[in-house]
Amino acid sequence: MDQNNSLPPYAQGLASPQGAMTPGIPIFSPMMPYGTGLTPQPIQNTSSLSILEEQQRQQQQQQQQQQQQQQQQQQQQQQQQQQAAQQSTSQQAAQVASGQAPQIFHSQTLTTAPLPGTTPLYPSPVTPMTPITPATPASESSGIVPQLQNIVSTVNLGCKLDLKTIALRARNAEYNPKRFAAVIMRIREPRTTALIFSSGKMVCTGAKSEEQSRLAARKYARVVQKLGFPAKFLDFKIQNMVGSCDVKFPIRLEGLVLTHQQFSSYEPELFPGLIYRMIKPRIVLLIFVSGKVVLTGAKVRAEIYEAFENIYPILKGFRKTT
Amino acid sequence: MSSTACRLYRNTTLGNRLQEILLQFDKAINSALAQRVRNRVNFRGSLNMYRFPDNVWTFVLNNVEFREVTELTKVDKVKTVACNSKNTGSITTE
Repeated sequence: MDQNNSLPPYAQGLASPQGAMTPGIPIFSPMMPYGTGLTPQPIQNTSSLSILEEQQRQQQQQQQQQQQQQQQQQQQQQQQQQQAAQQSTSQQAAQVASGQAPQIFHSQTLTTAPLPGTTPLYPSPVTPMTPITPATPASESSGIVPQLQNIVSTVNLGCKLDLKTIALRARNAEYNPKRFAAVIMRIREPRTTALIFSSGKMVCTGAKSEEQSRLAARKYARVVQKLGFPAKFLDFKIQNMVGSCDVKFPIRLEGLVLTHQQFSSYEPELFPGLIYRMIKPRIVLLIFVSGKVVLTGAKVRAEIYEAFENIYPILKGFRKTT
Repeated sequence: MSSTACRLYRNTTLGNRLQEILLQFDKAINSALAQRVRNRVNFRGSLNMYRFPDNVWTFVLNNVEFREVTELTKVDKVKTVACNSKNTGSITTE
């Protein structure tokens, strides 16, 4: 692909922090072509383009270099008016052939601006419009693996329970029906806490891995069983996983919220972290100035990893240099 | 023994006198704990077990240090039963 060489001059300044402050920089437009997946994408050129699209791209690049300023202005308007985006999409549909993964740092990403949820009008893309996974040769993996901090799971013990009996006879159990209608039980290994309800349903929190959560839930079920209840182990399901990691550099949250307005909310007076709601995978990230990132909302471990791989290049782009 | 059975033999001469004395005992202990006990003892140990049904805490602690201003006592195992009261918790320790 020769697209890197033909990057318009304004895009070449993207790597520098000053580039972020220039208005209308395409990479920071929230109306980037996220395809169907609405995944923020790092700088990369996918090798999955068809020849047809390559030709169209080369033609469009020449056209786009002439229309850069107009598009920049359009983008700024699009940031405010969602309906305008659809109009511009139709205008730019002829120019756009990027049926493949959206690319933030590419000039062509200017043109396609599909709204979240709407499918852009692409002329017969050969490749399927799947959101490209970040594992492409052009992007480097971050080398940082988020650590799981907390797993919340639920299980149905399958029988009604007498909470008073459990609280009276079990060890390490609390039951205060006036405050909360469940027995709060804790075990030391794995260090977890369980909320056991009279319906027989149980919530297990505090484990650091999926296996530990399952093992802990089984231990609680065994405790209940030993107290004389016919406990079973039905429908064990992990409901939420929380991970955290450190990107090891400070982050400009103000810049991030300006360019990713659709996904971020940042109220420093309310909470010092930026709340980034990624659409695919559906994960909420808390991003802090120090470079620490908390990821939550995952049902499987892979979602945490995928979300971090998605956000890492964006965060690199907002690295604080002072 | 069921409570109904208890009532029967308690309603005897001996039983009645003993109940009166028990009532006096209750009153005396309550007033003594409220008025005559002033010291404060801190104790610290590792928690082996806890329980909390019906607003009654049961703790089992190991390697406990009872610390009063004057002196220090070390114990291997302490079982504490505590429940709420108006001013201070009433605690029995074995």
